[in-house]
Amino acid sequence: MSEGKHFNPEKIFFWLFLFTALEVLWGYAFGVWFHPGRVVLWGGLIMFAVVKAVMIAQYFMHFKFEGWIIKALIVPTPFLVAYILVMISPDVSRNDLLIEPIGSMYDDEDGVVKEDMADLSHSIEHASGEGGGH
Amino acid sequence: MSSAIPAYDSSVDAPVHHHPVYDYDSGPPVERGKFAIWLFLGTEIMFFAGLIGTYIVLRSGSASWPNPQERLAVDITAFNTFVLITSSWMMVKSLFAAAKGDQGGMVRWLLATILGGSFFVGIQVYEYLELFKHGALPNVDIFWSTFYAMTGFHGLHVIVGVIWLICALVSAMRGKFTPNNYLGLELAGLYWHFVDLVWVLLFTIVYLF
Repeated sequence: MSEGKHFNPEKIFFWLFLFTALEVLWGYAFGVWFHPGRVVLWGGLIMFAVVKAVMIAQYFMHFKFEGWIIKALIVPTPFLVAYILVMISPDVSRNDLLIEPIGSMYDDEDGVVKEDMADLSHSIEHASGEGGGH
Repeated sequence: MSSAIPAYDSSVDAPVHHHPVYDYDSGPPVERGKFAIWLFLGTEIMFFAGLIGTYIVLRSGSASWPNPQERLAVDITAFNTFVLITSSWMMVKSLFAAAKGDQGGMVRWLLATILGGSFFVGIQVYEYLELFKHGALPNVDIFWSTFYAMTGFHGLHVIVGVIWLICALVSAMRGKFTPNNYLGLELAGLYWHFVDLVWVLLFTIVYLF
């Protein structure tokens, strides 16, 4: 069952551990402390996440060592995922045609629809006051 | 001209028994259980792709989106991510022990994997309770509704994974897995690694983006 599946799990674990630490650091560095732009932040994060996901699939899930039939099952899925994202993207690009943009919320207290979440009177702090949490 | 064609034998085309025996395996060139789990994981990929795709559309289309790191406890969840990755590594160790016939090692590593998964669920429940106390409910805004949808469905997968691993542990303790046959353990492990893989992506998208 595991014939030919020779790899060092500690080595893979080390790299996953290191990449996760670097990813969190990257998130704080370019998301909180410095602001070089979303391309730098998101580009780095996507790179770390994809590399880790591929390592888990290839080694821990033994995908690298599977035969053609398993690969034929899984390899098309990233392309199908990309297809889904492309097909639903018009919902974003035509957002200006909507009566209210995505994410708008009706504010109970003011009786108006607000586009910016930060403007909602029904905020987290407000709700916590009612709930008596903090 | 005399014919050399032999007399027609109907049994060649229509054997008398109704269960023809082939001299080859008509199934996929892999264990059927493994084929089934990978097929299932393919559908799971599409399921999470739908969730993440919806999140991307909603986030891109929103007039504003809060910084997740200001709303969520990234440090605790990062630690939880380490726990899940560690449990995935321990699952591999359990499989390696099973392949070597190390019954004790297989059970110990599998138990450690289950504890890791349970710890992950415990931390997530704690996170949810703390958020609820602060009034961060799914109906507050679209940030929270997408957050709970994605992490909640993943959490359910972790719970199912832990239950599956417990069943595998019971089988392992009964000596059902041998070096020549531990497919049941391997299938549970595949599902567990997939849960880990999805979390790696969700952690990045939900907590760090």
